[in-house]
Amino acid sequence: MAFLIAFHWGWLLGALALGFAMGWVAVVHRAPGVPRPGMWLLAALAVLLVAAALTNLIPGRAGYWLELLLLMFVPYLAGCAIGSWLRAWVVFRSMRAKSLG
Amino acid sequence: MLVLWGLAAWSSTAPLENDLAGRSSAALKDSVLDKTNVIVDGRDVTVRAEAFSQSGRSSAVGAVAAVPGVRLVDDETRLAPEAKPFVWSAERDVVRVTLSGNAPLPAVKGKLVEAARNALNGVEVADQMALARGAPAHFEDAALLLIGQIGKLKDGKFTVSDGEVTLSGMARELGGREAIAAALKKLPEGFKVAGNEVQAPPYILQAYKDPVAVTVTLSGNVPDDNIHAVIAGASSRKFFDEKVVDNLKTSIGAPAGFVNAVVPALGALSRLSTGTLVVSDREIKLSGDALYDAAAAQIRTTLPKDVPQGWQVKAEISVKPQAAPVDPTVCQQLFSDLLAKGTVRFETGRADLDRDSTGLLDRLVEIAMRCPSANIEVAGHTDAAGEEPTNQALSEKRAQAVISYLVQAGYGSTQPLASNDTSDGRAQNRRIEFLVR
Repeated sequence: MAFLIAFHWGWLLGALALGFAMGWVAVVHRAPGVPRPGMWLLAALAVLLVAAALTNLIPGRAGYWLELLLLMFVPYLAGCAIGSWLRAWVVFRSMRAKSLG
Repeated sequence: MLVLWGLAAWSSTAPLENDLAGRSSAALKDSVLDKTNVIVDGRDVTVRAEAFSQSGRSSAVGAVAAVPGVRLVDDETRLAPEAKPFVWSAERDVVRVTLSGNAPLPAVKGKLVEAARNALNGVEVADQMALARGAPAHFEDAALLLIGQIGKLKDGKFTVSDGEVTLSGMARELGGREAIAAALKKLPEGFKVAGNEVQAPPYILQAYKDPVAVTVTLSGNVPDDNIHAVIAGASSRKFFDEKVVDNLKTSIGAPAGFVNAVVPALGALSRLSTGTLVVSDREIKLSGDALYDAAAAQIRTTLPKDVPQGWQVKAEISVKPQAAPVDPTVCQQLFSDLLAKGTVRFETGRADLDRDSTGLLDRLVEIAMRCPSANIEVAGHTDAAGEEPTNQALSEKRAQAVISYLVQAGYGSTQPLASNDTSDGRAQNRRIEFLVR
């Protein structure tokens, strides 16, 4: 794990930045919600992929690409969280300022 | 996000695989393996190699698995093939030494090549050894011992097959064969010599009689200092007129009966005006010019009888053209000059001619033949020692023996030839004198 992070730190940083941007945008963007069955399906897929990676089920390059995907998803999600939280905070503050003004 | 992932996967796969391959190979540096091949697919590493023990296999796989970043190790190592019989050989020819067959471990292989380089400074060493298991115990010691001996060969081959050592070829120098045989006694336990067919180079002694420089040059080998002294002594007696240049060196490996063959051969050479003697192993080659016809015939027939049994004689004797006749005064001068340089010798207390004097007698015959008009008198001188009558009888017999030699040589049938006994007590020693009347 440490090796993968050290080897791909640039890409992970990129994923973090992308996640941050997505989170920043997501707060003010109105998108149709994902239906509940779809949510379950996505969750199941995620669990399946993580399980496959942890058990080294997929061999060779495909296995490596899966690990890379999962690894990049972590900073992406973190970026999303930070981005949306910061944007929400900024939006909330400006709205309060407006209402006060 | 998926696009970013795609880009990351596309660009980082090859560098990652190269990085892992490099570090996996480095991790295998210390493992004892042959034919190592590391294949990286993603983060999975396939190790293909031949190991020399089960623990060697597992430690190699363990070393690769411990490389950071490696996910799975596919173990395709196997044990190196076992050679049965385990054969190793070292072959020497003019330009190189070829090591071939099996070696038990890469380190041993390297050591053998290094040893061969050190043993033969400047000679190319070709390494054709393969690695295999199944070497007998102490193989390395045995192989190193043989490599240490290969410098003594001119060409040839040493082979080790399991515990059996076979040798063939030609030794570089006299004594090389014996030195190799002696070294083989130190072979480690479990090894034995199955066949030693190393040949010795021919044992050569040469003598060249040069009438211009008035020298006899001896070169080549003699077995020991005693025989050297015998040959040097015989040469100085037989070649009474010439300077003997002794370039002989001591070396073992002489054929049996060496001295008994060389001394008569030198005697035959002393009878030639110019000639070359080559004693090679048990073959004697004598070529040159005899002083007269009968001498040439005598040398051809007597030399083969004089040498020990089993020795071959090849005599290519021609006859020196006879010099122009001279008048009796010159003739007397020639006899006196010659007899001043050498004395006709007899066996102690007897009237038999000493064989060392044959060369001198031939020279006397040659002079006598140049004096067709002279009456030659052979005088035996006695000294004062001993009883007078015995001495007188002996010296008379001795003069007679010299006359018989001249007659045998073909002289005296037409010319008058007489013996004389001069018993002058003042004479310094016993001697034979030729007087022309």
